[in-house]
Amino acid sequence: MNKTFDRYASIVFLLIGVLFIVESRKISASSYGSNVGPDIFPIGLGILLVLLSIKLFIETAKMKKEDTKGEKPDYKRFLIIFGAAVLYVVLLEPLGYVITTFLFLAVGFQVLEKGGWLKTIAIAAAFSFGVYYLFVMVLQGSLPGFPI
Amino acid sequence: MDAIQFLINGFGIAMQWQNLAFAFFGVLIGTAVGVLPGIGPMSGVALLIPITATLTSGLDPQSAAASSIILLAGVYYGAMYGGSTTSILLNTPGESSSVVTALDGYQMARQGRAGAALSISAIGSFVAGIVSLIGLTLLAKPLSELALSFGPAEYFSLMLLGLCAVSGLAGSSITKALIMTVAGLLLATIGMDNVSGVSRFTYENAYLYSGLEFLTVAVGLFALGEVFRTILDRDKGDGNIAKVGRILPTKQDMKESSAPILRGSLLGFFIGVLPGAGATLASFFSYIAEKKISKHPEKFGHGAIAGVAAPESANNGASGGAMIPLLTMGIPGSGTTAILMGALIMYNVQPGPLLFEDNPEVAWGLIASMFIGNLMLLVLNMPLVKVFAKVIETPAKYLLPIIIAISIFGVYAVQFNTFDLALLLICGLLGYFLTKNDYPVAPLVLALVLGPMIENNMRRALTSSNGDFAVFVTSPVSLLFLVIGALWISIPLIMKMRGRSVIINEED
Repeated sequence: MNKTFDRYASIVFLLIGVLFIVESRKISASSYGSNVGPDIFPIGLGILLVLLSIKLFIETAKMKKEDTKGEKPDYKRFLIIFGAAVLYVVLLEPLGYVITTFLFLAVGFQVLEKGGWLKTIAIAAAFSFGVYYLFVMVLQGSLPGFPI
Repeated sequence: MDAIQFLINGFGIAMQWQNLAFAFFGVLIGTAVGVLPGIGPMSGVALLIPITATLTSGLDPQSAAASSIILLAGVYYGAMYGGSTTSILLNTPGESSSVVTALDGYQMARQGRAGAALSISAIGSFVAGIVSLIGLTLLAKPLSELALSFGPAEYFSLMLLGLCAVSGLAGSSITKALIMTVAGLLLATIGMDNVSGVSRFTYENAYLYSGLEFLTVAVGLFALGEVFRTILDRDKGDGNIAKVGRILPTKQDMKESSAPILRGSLLGFFIGVLPGAGATLASFFSYIAEKKISKHPEKFGHGAIAGVAAPESANNGASGGAMIPLLTMGIPGSGTTAILMGALIMYNVQPGPLLFEDNPEVAWGLIASMFIGNLMLLVLNMPLVKVFAKVIETPAKYLLPIIIAISIFGVYAVQFNTFDLALLLICGLLGYFLTKNDYPVAPLVLALVLGPMIENNMRRALTSSNGDFAVFVTSPVSLLFLVIGALWISIPLIMKMRGRSVIINEED
């Protein structure tokens, strides 16, 4: 458990609750003659979320300070892989499925453990071609193909 | 009896060759998912939804729904079984419901009886499967008839009770669990309101009109969140894998474990029916119960076969029992059944009391296939135990990027847009940070699935009562549900205040 995270989280959830309440009030009233419009449910939930966030904030303040132990998370490898995933998503449509998947897998394998290039290339190629072939050729699905 | 006739028809559907194949692949993939570190039953089922959607695209909607739910349910109980393999061989439970199995299972493996432990857990799972089949057949009709008599007010309160139950038992802080539930309900309001047709919180974004896609959120929170955790925390599955040895249990083993298997199955089934109390709780309780009943309680923890048989039967019984509220009332009691429900809704099949009338082939086909699936698990696992033991050794280096790639492929294949892929990555990040800080994500997914139905029923009830909120407490059934729901949340709180430790249900 992490006290700082909980404190920030309670503030974020509080803001989300307020946001939903404010935005719900902008929803146009129901078209038919019911006084139970589309805004009641989100407003009620928004209020509930605000109350719960305040409760969490108080609980967090009462909590004794704990020192965080254990290893520091491995942010470097994670950020590379996450960045590669973002690029994968952005380039999927312009570059096509096979190329982006192959590159993403090759980068991912190498970041997690260096070396073994032959195996890396073989597995990445087998996966990207295999999925594309099975899905598009056999199952008649649709995936972005190759850039022309 | 009607039910038996329907069950026979169900077997007719489950025995069709493509459904047999689906059940087979389901349990096979499920076992692999359970064995592999990093993906549990929830992410396994979520990841396979898009793949089944493509596989069944050629069939008519009814049989497509039946076939895909057969496969997905196969993954669910296959994973339950697979999780025990790692508990026994490695002392690292693949998922939380087999934590207890590791206590005696690993000890048995150290004594060279791993094969017997594995086969006893397969037999136990099979017996539990049959027990839950009988239970489902007997309870399906009366329960769905009961549920049919409910009006919108009763439904609203019942779903609220379901949410309370899951929040009350998930994670270590009820406040956090409730926050996640409310956040899920709020996310569910995004998109076109299907009562009045007004769009809410869409901000002119075309992708938001249909609401946040449940599948994207579930795969992101569970599968990607788990992969990110493994990368960040340098989670390495090192350890010595015990030799499997002789597979068939001895006569003595069978004799010692037959009663625990039966007790475990029954206990597991009834715990599974309760919303919120999942397989983890079931395996835990049955282990404690066996230890109490046993003539040699000192043997537990030192390789007692009853300590493997009972919890393993219980967790499979619970996964069968969890199908009952889902199929008869349309209320999922756990994260995994919420995902199964989302899958059914994707096929335009609404789980609930009408399921047995409108889509009998889906309901009874699934029930029958659970029996066949369990039989397959038994046949598959006895000879293939050694193969699955090898699967454990799959290096994380290859596994993790491939899970990310499968998630992206799966979401894209169903949604065809990059907006959902971006949402997927965001949900993955959220899933990691929330889970790491004890914010349970299962209630959020459950709330996202139930949200539209809760809102519809609430508004229908309020419209017919002219906006009078008293309608929820004047109906005795509705009041009863609300009271139970309130108790579910408040009792653990009171117990905590008195300094008692409360058994916490991990996500399953």
